[in-house]
Amino acid sequence: MRTVIITGATSGIGFAVARALAKLGYHVIGVGRTIENCEAARDKLLSEIPGARIDFFYGDMMQQREVHRLADDLSAHLDRFCGGRLQALINNAGCVRSWYTTSEEGYEQQFSLNHLSGFLLTYRLFPYLKRCNGRMLLTSSSSHKMMKMNWKDIMFKNRYYPLMAYKQSKLCNMLFAYAFNTRFAKEGVRAYAVDPGLVNTEIGNKQTGGLVNFVWRLRKAHGVSADTPAQTYVYLCEQQPGADGLYYYHCRKQKYGWQVNEANAERLFKMSEQLCSIEYEVNAI
Amino acid sequence: MNVLITGAAGGLGRAFAVECAHRGYNLFLTDVNEAGLVAIREGIIRQYGVSVTIKKCDLTSDADVDALLRYSQSLGLRFDMLLNVAGIDFEGGFMDRDYSSISAIIQLNIEATLRITHKVLEIRSTDNKLFIVFVSSLASLYPIPLKATYAASKRFLLDFSIALREELKSENVSVMSLCPGGLPTTQDALNGISAQGFWGDATTNRLEMVASNTISRALKGRKIYIPGVINRIFSILGKITPRSLVARMLYIRWNRAQRQWLKLT
Repeated sequence: MRTVIITGATSGIGFAVARALAKLGYHVIGVGRTIENCEAARDKLLSEIPGARIDFFYGDMMQQREVHRLADDLSAHLDRFCGGRLQALINNAGCVRSWYTTSEEGYEQQFSLNHLSGFLLTYRLFPYLKRCNGRMLLTSSSSHKMMKMNWKDIMFKNRYYPLMAYKQSKLCNMLFAYAFNTRFAKEGVRAYAVDPGLVNTEIGNKQTGGLVNFVWRLRKAHGVSADTPAQTYVYLCEQQPGADGLYYYHCRKQKYGWQVNEANAERLFKMSEQLCSIEYEVNAI
Repeated sequence: MNVLITGAAGGLGRAFAVECAHRGYNLFLTDVNEAGLVAIREGIIRQYGVSVTIKKCDLTSDADVDALLRYSQSLGLRFDMLLNVAGIDFEGGFMDRDYSSISAIIQLNIEATLRITHKVLEIRSTDNKLFIVFVSSLASLYPIPLKATYAASKRFLLDFSIALREELKSENVSVMSLCPGGLPTTQDALNGISAQGFWGDATTNRLEMVASNTISRALKGRKIYIPGVINRIFSILGKITPRSLVARMLYIRWNRAQRQWLKLT
């Protein structure tokens, strides 16, 4: 049985991906922020797909010590029930913020959750992916194309622009996928960034306020159902051998922004290692 | 520059810690939440490489605060700035909560703040300038029904700091009060802001600006810092309106906000 881990799986895109993969017979391990959300999502999936293999783990991935704890629990679970193999890790958990807020480490929250949490979790679960030519998927966005890395002030600490911080975090997803492939594609582990398009989810209305909340309420009404982008995730999980390319929309390879290049990818990778206090294995380069 | 920050694992405390590290200051951080202290120390060292010392401390305990300062002295630390951030916010009518939670506000916001301030002043060397910042609140400017104890506790800090400033002016100590509106720090705070609707957003201050401006103004020797134009206008209106009328208006506003807030939590 193929195993897949999906973060942010209790609602929105993550939930739709969990449902689509469970229908195809994957063993789905979801990660959500609260135990209540996780239980509700699990019940809903099981009622729609009786007999599916679904497990949920909860934790606040904004905080690195929670990511480490989750990684411990997930590793133990993979060792025990999945033969130590993980076919796909889908780093989908993300947030939108209207104000400058920080994680426990004092990192800006969108950067911390949308980028660093996936960077750290992937590091921790990498051995499981490697065992079965697995793949790592990230939920990015086409908005990364309009953005440059704000290297001088990566956390937007000097002045916060919510939308810029969001777009930058999505550019970080692209750059992480890029650097990941440079390092590990030849070992058979690949990363992909998915552009889900405009999707009708609650992301802009959770823990936001004022303008961001208002704008997203109007905007999400034009979004497609989360089941549409879910097909792209399924496609990328199913391809054997893994598809080439980096950036996908509607199951098709797309052109990505010009800021997604070697120099930026390496710089972010090094900085992220420093901010997580980890070092990915280097012998792969 | 060595900075002592209380409540450093919370939203505003962390923002101050990051701001000070960004300026290259060395930090001594304390909070009751030890895991939070460990996390913020890690984050700051990885980002800025300044020296960060942490020690868990319950500021409402005399013995704990003594131990804290003994520890700092054993490291040979001399403080140039004290940021009194630790405090609790509180919503609800006086009789809607049990007395222990009312008393906790007084113990932490007032007593604990005075305790650490007194003890830091005791051990300081008068050769060096010391900056002290009290985190009061926009709420300190008015009597606020349904937040009566909280607002009054912040009023205490405001009046106290202005008086202390005069006492210590000639002794190389500069005292400032920060009176922010809503700050988007915790989930509770965010709920509180959205419960107030338009005025919640209007009186909310940007955390990053408040942190940076507070340090700049404290260093300039300012007396009070009320962030935000709208909040400054409110503070002036509050001064010229009779206090009983202010209380009546705020009661109407908070009553509505409170009902909204209860729905959100």
